[in-house]
Amino acid sequence: MTKLNYAYYPGCASQEITKEANSTTRLVAKKLGIELHDMPKANCCGAGLLTDYDYDLYIALNARIFAEAEEMGMDILTICSTCLMVMSRAVHDLKTKPGLLEKTNEVLAKAGLHYSGNVKVKHLLWVLAKDFGVDRLAREVTSPLGPLKAAPFYGCHSLRPSDALGFDDPEKPWSLEAVLRAIGAEVVEYTGKTKCCGFQVDLVTEETAIEMTGTRLLDAKAQGAECIVTPCPFCHINLDNYQNSAEKQLDADIGLPVFHLAQMVGLALGLKASHMGMSRHMVSAEKILQR
Amino acid sequence: MKIDLKIRRYNPSSKQGREPYYQAYSVNASEGMTVLEAMLEIVGTQDPTLSFRRSCRSSICGSCAVKVNGFTKLACSTQIIPEHQKTGEMVIEPIANHTVLKDLIVDFDPFWKKMDKVKPYLIPPESQTEEVAITQENAAAIDDAQKCIMCGSCNSECNALEIEKKYLGPAALAKAWRFVGDVREEGGRGRLGRLSDDHGIWDCVRCVHCVEYCPKGVEPLTAIERLRARALEENIRDNHGAKHVDAMVESVKKVGRLDEAAMTFKTLGLLRSLGMIPMGLKMEMHGKMPHPHLFPQIKKIGEVRAIYKEIEGRKKTSKKSRKVKRRKTD
Repeated sequence: MTKLNYAYYPGCASQEITKEANSTTRLVAKKLGIELHDMPKANCCGAGLLTDYDYDLYIALNARIFAEAEEMGMDILTICSTCLMVMSRAVHDLKTKPGLLEKTNEVLAKAGLHYSGNVKVKHLLWVLAKDFGVDRLAREVTSPLGPLKAAPFYGCHSLRPSDALGFDDPEKPWSLEAVLRAIGAEVVEYTGKTKCCGFQVDLVTEETAIEMTGTRLLDAKAQGAECIVTPCPFCHINLDNYQNSAEKQLDADIGLPVFHLAQMVGLALGLKASHMGMSRHMVSAEKILQR
Repeated sequence: MKIDLKIRRYNPSSKQGREPYYQAYSVNASEGMTVLEAMLEIVGTQDPTLSFRRSCRSSICGSCAVKVNGFTKLACSTQIIPEHQKTGEMVIEPIANHTVLKDLIVDFDPFWKKMDKVKPYLIPPESQTEEVAITQENAAAIDDAQKCIMCGSCNSECNALEIEKKYLGPAALAKAWRFVGDVREEGGRGRLGRLSDDHGIWDCVRCVHCVEYCPKGVEPLTAIERLRARALEENIRDNHGAKHVDAMVESVKKVGRLDEAAMTFKTLGLLRSLGMIPMGLKMEMHGKMPHPHLFPQIKKIGEVRAIYKEIEGRKKTSKKSRKVKRRKTD
């Protein structure tokens, strides 16, 4: 089987606040023989906020990231759904909007750069579900997770806008469920799994953000979930860091540990919890880990 | 093929319908049959009491938006067989984030009130004596926003509106951009000031659902992003949303990345940042507190700054050229 190589773009969140997602992804990739190549020049994708400032700046700065990946001759692998959405939208626009690629290259030329328009952006989730493959992943499992009722939480940006992302079906997504089943977890169905966690307005309309987070968590809990698994560090920040605030604001007991996708896969591959930064979570994962 | 439907019924004026319930129907679906055609067949041949709005049957009037298997679609442009094949079900419900009046009919009054609030009409200069030349580029900027048929699909799927009922919502904001982005408009700055108030442009959570479910390609989120960018251009910054964006723009220029701690401080200001201390301490205990400016700068930050410089320069030129070149008619 050909070796999988990617230009690795962890995103800003996972280089600092959720760095356990980054370090764990590296461990999991190593275990699975997926080669992650660092992008030392890569800038922030803008997380949507740069788009609010200036669309052309957003496109040009993302094209700078793509130029680096093109130089490396690899697809980009990210572990952040927001980076995925923001970069995919830029890739899509640069491909489909007449004149945009040329105009952007004029800007890039001022920095001595060029993007030819052929980069693909993928999420770790997609790589596990497709490039690597769930069957192959299932064969690598040494410590199956069952019985564990895990609620997949996609959030918004790993699914929408579906035409720019071009991978999963936002109305009937399969990738996260398929990966969870491959590693032996029982998948919990609930209504909020493809909805917003509220992260984007944490600092703007905090009450809305907290209510959103709490609603998703309570939805999952009502369906018997014992934990949440998310491919997005921003969703993790809200579901985990803000869970306590949500309990207070909604006057409800939640207590649901939240795992990064890589951590859950890592557990099934026999990696030690202590090596995957689980103590960094605000909601203790002990009751799951002790089983 | 025979397809079973479950339709949500509700009729507050009847004894049976006071509490919402699901009623089962079944239709013989032919290739290409739409959800609306199935509903019309039910009304015509099985149950004349089933209520819903419809008019043009061709995605122009915007009357027939409903939830099909949980997601908002125009009944007239959604084929029943492929939808049914996707999940094995055919559940039809009224759109969300609106009060149901009867069966699939919802109250659109709040929708129209929000439309009214953004003044959905052009406000030209008081004494318009000059002819305004409109370039293709000028027209393209508002083209998508003009396609709205007011079906309410975006508002039905909006995750922010689900929590915050006072939020203006994607439909009204897309309409607002249609006029703010119009070069003939004079009241843009005033509009942007009002739109930057509570429950305006900064309430959007960027869930992208409005883009996904608009049946006409309006892309309300894109309109909201343009309104935000224009508000910043007009220097309307006295709100957390604008400060958040400014902090990001500065952070990327400085280190090439997002500096979480600096962003929190710059967005919230000193007083509200102090309010974050309890959470900060808890995060610190878990080793999660982001520390400002510990980020190593990315390699070749000069490239990023060169891009900023070039874009800022172009922005100034385009702002100037937007000031409409008016030609005296006399």
